[in-house]
Amino acid sequence: MKKVIKYIASVLLVGIVAYNSVYFKKLDEVKAGTTSFDAAGYAGKFWNEKLPPRLSKAIEIGELLTLLQTDKEKAFMTYSHALGIGNVKYFLVKGSGIIQSVDENQVSVKVESENEKPEINIATEYVFGNAVRDASGVIDINAFVNSMDFNNVSAEINKIIREKVIPPFRSKVKKGDRIFFSGAIELNKEHLSTRSIEVIPTDLKIIKD
Amino acid sequence: MAIVVSTLNNPWFVFLAERAAAKAKELGYESKIFDSQNNTSLETDHFENAISSGYDAVLFNPTDADGSVVNVKNATAAGIPVFCMDREINSSGAATSQILSDSYSGCVTIAKYFVETLNKKGKYVELLGLVGDNNTWNRSKGFHSVVDHYPGLKMVAQQSADFDRNKAMEVLESILQANPDIDAVFCGNDAMAMGAYQALVASGKAGKVKVFGFDGAEDVVKSIQDGKIIATGMQFPEVMAQTAAMMADQYFKGKRDFPKKMPVAVEMVKKDNVENYAAYGKK
Repeated sequence: MKKVIKYIASVLLVGIVAYNSVYFKKLDEVKAGTTSFDAAGYAGKFWNEKLPPRLSKAIEIGELLTLLQTDKEKAFMTYSHALGIGNVKYFLVKGSGIIQSVDENQVSVKVESENEKPEINIATEYVFGNAVRDASGVIDINAFVNSMDFNNVSAEINKIIREKVIPPFRSKVKKGDRIFFSGAIELNKEHLSTRSIEVIPTDLKIIKD
Repeated sequence: MAIVVSTLNNPWFVFLAERAAAKAKELGYESKIFDSQNNTSLETDHFENAISSGYDAVLFNPTDADGSVVNVKNATAAGIPVFCMDREINSSGAATSQILSDSYSGCVTIAKYFVETLNKKGKYVELLGLVGDNNTWNRSKGFHSVVDHYPGLKMVAQQSADFDRNKAMEVLESILQANPDIDAVFCGNDAMAMGAYQALVASGKAGKVKVFGFDGAEDVVKSIQDGKIIATGMQFPEVMAQTAAMMADQYFKGKRDFPKKMPVAVEMVKKDNVENYAAYGKK
């Protein structure tokens, strides 16, 4: 009888030790847990304090497109930002125009301008990437211990846009509306194409006449 | 200059090492390439060798974001500047400078195209690179920062294949046994994308399952032209290698004020713009 009790106790002991020794977690969950950086807090401060003064200096998009045609180097030198080496550059832009169409993933806008009057798209679905963070030119990668923290800032900025900027606009906008917009665009300096410009919005207003 | 590279079992890193050596030679320096074979212990041996043999700088492609930090610190303590190429170490002050591909942004762009191509629904597999490498996670996080917003896209498996072509083929073959109805595979590098494509050919699913890679390797650029692979993120290893060698040259000439991190933009290559690109960079 004692042997049976000992046997059961041993099995229980081994079972408890084994259960508490092995954990199964998704690889990305393990990796996600290694940082203590408050990306949401950082992005909130950026959105409320650092971005507005930069947006007040954003170039009107028609003016930018005219400058790109007449002096590409000056346009990129004066108005674009990028973090390091490469052809991908970001601009803060603003403008107003008439809604041409409201689609599943974007709205199309015919820009009103004294310069170029392009038709551009404003993203309302695919709001991702580093355009707003990098176009501002005020966040330095070298201030971050690792690039994952730095990239999480972009994810949080985009979350603010998806939650605060787009829903109130998207719920009311319709074809023919006159709107004001500001935001960030990405252009490839070497393979420059201005035919399908997409604005990641930071502000969207339907203008009441 | 000592050029210490994570592995020479991948043509992308061979190109990186050779371009660094070529730039060093052009600048008037001798160099030697060391292959760490994805082994941090072997990497440590190479650093000890570089320090004791009197190398003046290390152009470094780390094996592990955390495990490689001590090697960089030892070299720096010995007065030898270290310039990281492509892969990051988790220490902001240890290396003299880190020249890194902006993998996260590149994979955000690829992921947007992934969602559009799959029309926001389907089953997919993700093949991760080396678990200890920050690039693995920057790419995965960039990808998921987009794809996870679409509940119609279901990841049926996420496994590491160590950036290795043969391992990717084996891993995907195994996954396909349990998930024969996948629609796409996202791979953390091009070697794995080619391995995944081989597995799909073997199972008769090539052309039905969309494969996405990252790197801009020669065989993948050609496969995009041929319609076998959907897209990849073009990195610029020559830019990184040359920048690292030039920074070492500037260091020897007295410069000390280097940016701790220097990102290099990644560009998406797909069928409608592949004519603008060649392997490992632009035409």
